[in-house]
Amino acid sequence: MAEQSAASPLSPLAPLQTQAVDQNIYESIVRIEAATQVPNYKEPWKAGRFSGGIGTGFIIGPNRFLTNAHVVSNARRLLITMHGSARKHPAKILHIAHDCDLALLEVDDFIPFLGLQHLPIGGVPKLESQVRVIGYPVGGNRISVTRGVVSRIDFNTYSHSRSDQHLVVQIDAAINPGNSGGPVLQDGKVVGVAFQGLRSADNTGYMIPTPVVRRFLKDIEDGNYDKYVDLGIAHFPMFNPAMQKKFGLSPTSPGVLVAAVTPDGPCDGVLQDNDILTAINDNAVDAAGNVLIDGEKVNMNEIVERKFSGDIVKLSVIREGKAMDVSCTLKPFPPSQMYAVQYGVKPRYTSFAGLVMQPLDRNLYAAHNFSNTRVRRLFTHYLDEAIFKEREDIVILTSVLSDPVNTHVSSHVGTAVETINGEKVTSLKHAHKLLHPEKTPGFFIIKCEGIERPIVVPGDKAAAASQRTETNYGITSPAYLGN
Amino acid sequence: MQIKFSILTFLVSLPLIIASCCEHQSCPAKTDPSTSSSEQSPEPGAPLDPSIRQSLVRINSTIQAWSASQPWDKSAPAKRRALGALLAGNRVLTTAEMAANATYIEMENADSTRRIPAKVTAIDYEANLALLEPNNGDTESFFKNLHPLTLGTSALIGDRVDVWQLEDNGMPIITEATIQSVDILSSFANGHFFLAYEAKGSMQSASNSFTVPVIRNGKLLGLLSSYDSKDQIIDIIAPEIIEAFLTDTTDGNYAGFPSLGIAITSTVDPNFRDWLKLSDDVGGIYVTKVRKGSAAQKAGIEKGDVIIDINGRPIGRLGYYTDDQYGRLYWSHLIRGSLKLGDDVRLTILREGKETIITASLERPGKRLVALHSYDQAPRYLVKGGFIFQELTATYLKAFGKDWKSKAPLNLLDVLSSPEDYEEDRNKIIFLSATIPTPATTGYEPLRNFIINKVNGQTIADIASLIEAFQQPGPDGLHTIEFTDGPPKTIYLDATLSDQVDTKLLERGIPALSRQ
Repeated sequence: MAEQSAASPLSPLAPLQTQAVDQNIYESIVRIEAATQVPNYKEPWKAGRFSGGIGTGFIIGPNRFLTNAHVVSNARRLLITMHGSARKHPAKILHIAHDCDLALLEVDDFIPFLGLQHLPIGGVPKLESQVRVIGYPVGGNRISVTRGVVSRIDFNTYSHSRSDQHLVVQIDAAINPGNSGGPVLQDGKVVGVAFQGLRSADNTGYMIPTPVVRRFLKDIEDGNYDKYVDLGIAHFPMFNPAMQKKFGLSPTSPGVLVAAVTPDGPCDGVLQDNDILTAINDNAVDAAGNVLIDGEKVNMNEIVERKFSGDIVKLSVIREGKAMDVSCTLKPFPPSQMYAVQYGVKPRYTSFAGLVMQPLDRNLYAAHNFSNTRVRRLFTHYLDEAIFKEREDIVILTSVLSDPVNTHVSSHVGTAVETINGEKVTSLKHAHKLLHPEKTPGFFIIKCEGIERPIVVPGDKAAAASQRTETNYGITSPAYLGN
Repeated sequence: MQIKFSILTFLVSLPLIIASCCEHQSCPAKTDPSTSSSEQSPEPGAPLDPSIRQSLVRINSTIQAWSASQPWDKSAPAKRRALGALLAGNRVLTTAEMAANATYIEMENADSTRRIPAKVTAIDYEANLALLEPNNGDTESFFKNLHPLTLGTSALIGDRVDVWQLEDNGMPIITEATIQSVDILSSFANGHFFLAYEAKGSMQSASNSFTVPVIRNGKLLGLLSSYDSKDQIIDIIAPEIIEAFLTDTTDGNYAGFPSLGIAITSTVDPNFRDWLKLSDDVGGIYVTKVRKGSAAQKAGIEKGDVIIDINGRPIGRLGYYTDDQYGRLYWSHLIRGSLKLGDDVRLTILREGKETIITASLERPGKRLVALHSYDQAPRYLVKGGFIFQELTATYLKAFGKDWKSKAPLNLLDVLSSPEDYEEDRNKIIFLSATIPTPATTGYEPLRNFIINKVNGQTIADIASLIEAFQQPGPDGLHTIEFTDGPPKTIYLDATLSDQVDTKLLERGIPALSRQ
C-alpha cells in the first residue's frame, strides 16, 4: 500500500482516478475466517470434526457482506477482517443458499465499516474481456490480485451442492483456496464471485456470474431463501433425421424432445414424454435445448433459473403433431434434496440393539461409499421412478456395533431396510417407531433389501442390548430423528 | 454363507494365477534356455523317476477371448504353457483354464522334440478340467514310448505327494508336498466349488508350470490348479472330481456335474435359530434362493426351508457335514462331488418347524438370464445402423476391469444380482452396448448400456428376436426402439439409411453384422 501511494505521484501516465478507486475497493474486500464443526455421518451421535478455513467476502450494502456458501458452511464462529487491519469482527449468516453457493453475512457492529465503498453489481462480462480477481488465497496473509480473461460462459455444476447446475463463467486466472467468495471485477463493478477451480487444469477459475447473484439477492428480499426451482424434465436433442421425421420436424425446426417428466415435479401433468418443447416464455428452444439470452446461446434452463417459486412459465409444445401452449407453476421440489450435499444439518439416525440406521442422502453416500447394487439403484432412481412417493427416506443399515445379540448379521451392513416386523419402512421416523412399539413382540424381524435372511432380534433381549451398545460405544443419544 | 466363505479362498489363490499368467506372457527371459540352464543345478542323489518324462505332455495353447466392446473381434492372443497328465488312449488331462477360449492347442513331448496339434474332447469350466486328444498329425510317433498314468485314489491329510514339473531341457523337477487340508474350492469359473486338496510345498517357477500333475504312489492324484507362492500352498483338484469327469466323457457326450440350484446361508445365529424354531440338536442351512427351473424347484424346495440332512448326513449350522474319509466338508460336495446327473438326493427339511423329506432328481444348472461365464462362446450381437446390441453376460460386465462391480453400468449390474426381476418374457437381456457414430445414429452417440424392451412393437427376448424385429420397420420407414431404461425411452432409426450404413460398415471391415 505504501509503495502504491508513493508511486502514484511519480507516474503521471497512470490515471490517478483508477488508483483511488482501487484503494477503496481493497478495503471493501474482507477476509473471512470460519471455525467449523463438520458432522460425522459415520458415527452420527458424535460431535463431528472441528476445523476451519479462510475465505473472502465483500461489502455490497449496509452491513451486507457477500461470500460463498461453502466459505461459511457448518460454521460455528465467523470473523471478518478488513484489509490492512488486525481487528477481527464477529459476524453471522443472514442468508445462505447452498444450491448456488452464495451467502450473505452481517457483522455485529458495522460502525468500523461505515464509509467503505459498497461494490456495485455489474453484468455478464463478454468473452475475451479482462477481469480482476481479488481475495485472500493461500500463500500469504495479505490481499492478492490476479488478472484473467473470460474464456467461457457455460452452464455447469456447482460443486458445493454437487447437484445443482447454473450459469458459470470460466476465466483463465487461477482461483485458489481462500479466493472463494471474493469479487471478480471489471470496470469497477462486480461481474462475478470467485468460487471454484479445476484440479486437472492450471489457470482455470470459475466464478458465479451476476444473474445468479442477483437472483439470490432478489429471492431473499422477503426475508427467506426459497431455493431454485426447475421444470423437472429431462430433454433429449432432436438431431437425428429419423427422429425429426417421426415428429414431422425439419432439420431447422426449433424444439427439443421431452424425454422424461419428473413425477410430482412442476411439469407433471403439464408436459408428457415425447412432447416437442419449442419455446419457453416465447424464447425459441433449439434442437439441442438451448435458448438465446443477451446474445448468448445458453441452456434453456437458464430461463427458469431466473424465476422464483410460484412464477408461471409458458411452454410451447408440439404434442402428437399439434402445436399448443401449456403453462406450469414453478415450485420447489423437496425430494430432489436427496442429491444435494447438506450443510449445517445434524445427521439423523436411530440405533437399536447395536444396529445403526440412517436415511440415505448425498452426505451418507459420500461417508459410506455404498457398493450394494440395490442401494445404488434406490439412490439413482429415487426421483425418476417416484420412489419418494412411497419412501420419504431410504433407511440404510449403516453399521452393526458388535454385541452378543447381533454378532451374526454384519453382512447386512450397507443394505436398505425393507421391512420391520412385516411392515414396509417408509421413513427413519417410521423405522424408529416400528423398532419401539408399545407392546414388545416376540422377535423383531428386520428384512433388508436383496438379502433373504432377515435380522432377528428377540424382543426380550432388545432393550438390554440397546442399553449395552449405547454404553459400550458411547452413544450419548440413541436416536436423532430430526425436528 | 457358502459363497462368502469360498470366495475368500479363491481370492487368496488368485495372485498366483495372475503371476504365472504374466510369467508366460510377457517374460521371455523365463523361457530363454541360457537363463534356465544357470538355474538348473544338478542335484546328485535326487531320485529321478524315468517314467516322469514319459507320462507328462507339454501343452501350449493360444488363448483368445472375444472383445467385449467390439463383439465381432477377438482380443489379442496370449500364450499359456502347462503340463498335462497322459492317460490311456492317447488322452491328456489338463485344466479347463488351458483350453477355455483356446484358438489353438498343441501337445509337445517332454524333451521338446515332437509336437502334435490337439483338440478338446471334453471341458468342464466349473470343475476346471479338460481332456485333450491329438487332432490329425502323426499320433503314432508322438505317443511312441510314452507311458500313460493311471488315476489314483483319494489321499488323506498328512499324505506326501509329488508335484511334477519339467525344466526346459526336459529334466524333471519333483517337489514334495504334504496335504494339509481338504476343502471345496472354486478354481476357475466363479461360483462353482469342488473338492480340492491344499498341500504345503515350496515349488519353483519353471516353464510350463501353469498347471501341472500331482502324483501319489506313482499314480495321478490330481492337477495343480493354483499355487500361492507367499504361503506355499498348492491347490489340487481331487481325484474324485477327475474320476467323475473322466467317466462322464466315456460316451463321447459330456454332460457335466449336477446341481441342486439353491443358495443358502448358515443358521449359526442363535436368534435366527430361535425364530426358525430350530432345536439345539439339529444344525441346518437356510435356503435363501431357489433358482427357476432347477432340480430344487422341481422337487418343491422353497425359500426359507432349512435343510438339516442330505442323504443321511446331518448338516451342521455352518453347512458342514462329517465325511467318512475327510472329516468336516461343506455340504455342496454331497451334491456336486458325490452324485451324478439323474441321481436322486434325499433332503430332510424343516419348514415352519415341521420336518419333511423331499427327494430331488439332480440336473444341470438351468440357463441363466445372465450367463455367469461364456468361455468358448462368441458373444451374440447385432449391428444396426451403427447401434451395437449385445446379449448381456457376466463376461461383458467383468470387462470393466478389476472394479467392475462399481464401474460397470448400474442397471446391468442390477440384472446380474436380481435376475428374477427381469425374467418375464425374456431368455436373455439385450442391451445397447455402444453407438458407432454414423449418419443413421446422428444425435444418438451418447446412448449406451440401455436394456432393450421392444423393437418395432415386438418384445425382445434374445438376439434372434431382435434380428427378426428389425426385419419389420414401420410403414413410415422407421424402426422404433424402446428402452427399459432411459431417458429417452423411445428412439427412431431410419430403416433405409441404417441398411445403407450396415453395408458401409461391412465394407469398412466389420466381418458380420450379427452373430446368433
